[in-house]
Amino acid sequence: MTASTLTVPGTSGPETPDAPPLTEAARRPRRTRPAIVSHVFLALLLVGFLAPVVWALLSAFKPANDIITSPLGFDPTRFTLDNYIAMFQDVPIASGFANTAVVLVFKGAITLFFAPLAAYAFAKYDFIGKNLIFGAVLVTLMLPTIVLIIPLLLEMKQLGWVNTYQALILPGSVDAFAIFWMRQVIAAVPDELLDAARVDGCGEFGIFWRVVLPVIRPGLAGLAVLTIMNIYNDFVWPVVVASSDRMATLQVVLSTLAQNITGNRIGADYATVTGELLAASSIALIPLLVLFIALQRHFINGILAGSVKG
Amino acid sequence: MTTITGARTRRRLAPYLFVAPFVAVFIAFSIYPLIFTARLSFTNWRGSGAAEWVGWDNYLYLLGNEGFWSSIANSAVLWLLIIPAQLVIALIAAVLLDNAKLKLRSLYRVAFVVPFVTPLVAIAQVWVVVFDQNYGAVNGLLGLVGLPDVGWLTTSEWAKPTLALLFVWKTTGFIVLILLSGLQSIDSSVYEAADLDGAGRLRQLWSITVPLLRRTIMFAVVLQTLAVFQMFAEPFVVTQGGPYGSTTTAGYYLYNHITRADLGTGAANSFLLVILVMALSLGFVRLLRAKD
Repeated sequence: MTASTLTVPGTSGPETPDAPPLTEAARRPRRTRPAIVSHVFLALLLVGFLAPVVWALLSAFKPANDIITSPLGFDPTRFTLDNYIAMFQDVPIASGFANTAVVLVFKGAITLFFAPLAAYAFAKYDFIGKNLIFGAVLVTLMLPTIVLIIPLLLEMKQLGWVNTYQALILPGSVDAFAIFWMRQVIAAVPDELLDAARVDGCGEFGIFWRVVLPVIRPGLAGLAVLTIMNIYNDFVWPVVVASSDRMATLQVVLSTLAQNITGNRIGADYATVTGELLAASSIALIPLLVLFIALQRHFINGILAGSVKG
Repeated sequence: MTTITGARTRRRLAPYLFVAPFVAVFIAFSIYPLIFTARLSFTNWRGSGAAEWVGWDNYLYLLGNEGFWSSIANSAVLWLLIIPAQLVIALIAAVLLDNAKLKLRSLYRVAFVVPFVTPLVAIAQVWVVVFDQNYGAVNGLLGLVGLPDVGWLTTSEWAKPTLALLFVWKTTGFIVLILLSGLQSIDSSVYEAADLDGAGRLRQLWSITVPLLRRTIMFAVVLQTLAVFQMFAEPFVVTQGGPYGSTTTAGYYLYNHITRADLGTGAANSFLLVILVMALSLGFVRLLRAKD
């Protein structure tokens, strides 16, 4: 599998730098394309892909009425923080952020430790029940998330966990997708590396901790960003299980605000709520955008490491 | 010799310990609820009171119900609007980005993935504002070139394309990355040979890249088919399934049973959807195998 050359940059162990798998420059020196056509196509896409985000970030600084009377314009002299001020007064956004942060830390830590550990067992060991369990993992991947919502909610009621952090953190903390993804990444690690560690007297967990984890760092970074993204952006489950103001995560706060807009479709109310909503949306966009731009190399390489090769 | 036996025992036991935490979470929060749903689908339970066993009634009711079929049809139309467009855009973008000499390459890569990392609730709400019939930016743009306003989210013929656009916008960057990873495993010598034979770029794309990427493309199609038929959050935030049920996707229709506390029917609907989604995925996998 050619993937191994991409995901495992050499076998020199923990000191290996994060994989730069994009080495086509070396491999295909002759492939060039008409650059102008490429740039026109890509630039058009770039504008389309960035426009909604840029529009939202800019419009949040416009007077609320301008957002609806002149949706396309942006007048720097009318720059205002009013939408943000109104939003902070009306919307429990700070506690939303705090709740999201708690869930992010605990759920993220659980996923990032236990998913690679289990995936390592699936990729590199034979044990009774392995195919059965992994088959169940694949089936779960095909399940619509909302299928499990009713029974999960009832389960939370029985446990007395409605509106608690446990309910936000535990279900889905080691989900099928993370297992599937990490198994792909770990399968590409050469067996010789593990055997060599065994010969050197390394224990089974030690192999995972000291050999496998360092080698799969790019894939793990990809999983980390995906996991953070999923937890941060999730709202269907939190809406159902943590709807109290005290427990609402950022996305729940946002979706509650979104419901208001439907009820205020006319005139000044619509403008005010829209302004608050754009301010709240902008604030919600920023942490992940910053994280993604800071970690984009790891994120993109991580996805490249985990995907199926042609 | 005892140390070797000890090591062997440890090696036999290790995988069980490694998967144990995952299996515990998996059984408690996936398998148990799933079995619960399976039982629920044969009852008429409404979330409180006693449940009555009704056999296959829920399934038969749904299969004979127009709303169920129109939700499947809505998802199928969305699939047709989304998948071909997304594949073409992603394939061209991936092939262009695969060129290491391309200037601004990392800027483009980042730009494509930005929609993928934005919270859906936030961006879906931006969609509502941007596509508003009276105050929206899109109709504002149309007005600049003298075109009349369009009821993007308020008419049943436009609501699906508008929702499809949101989905394509949100997820194409991810597909670009998946295709890029597939492209990296294609040996450049194939293209050099094609160059010598005088094959043009488009010809190479169609005759070399697409066939060699078949597996990766299929993976992407299966992934997106699952996502389209399960689509729920987009209609939930943007259209609430309307206007006139035109964006009531299979996933959203399922959710309607929950809000009406019609839990038995909802559970049966879940399983019908799972069967459909699995059949579609297996169909694509077959299609792929048949050509191998």
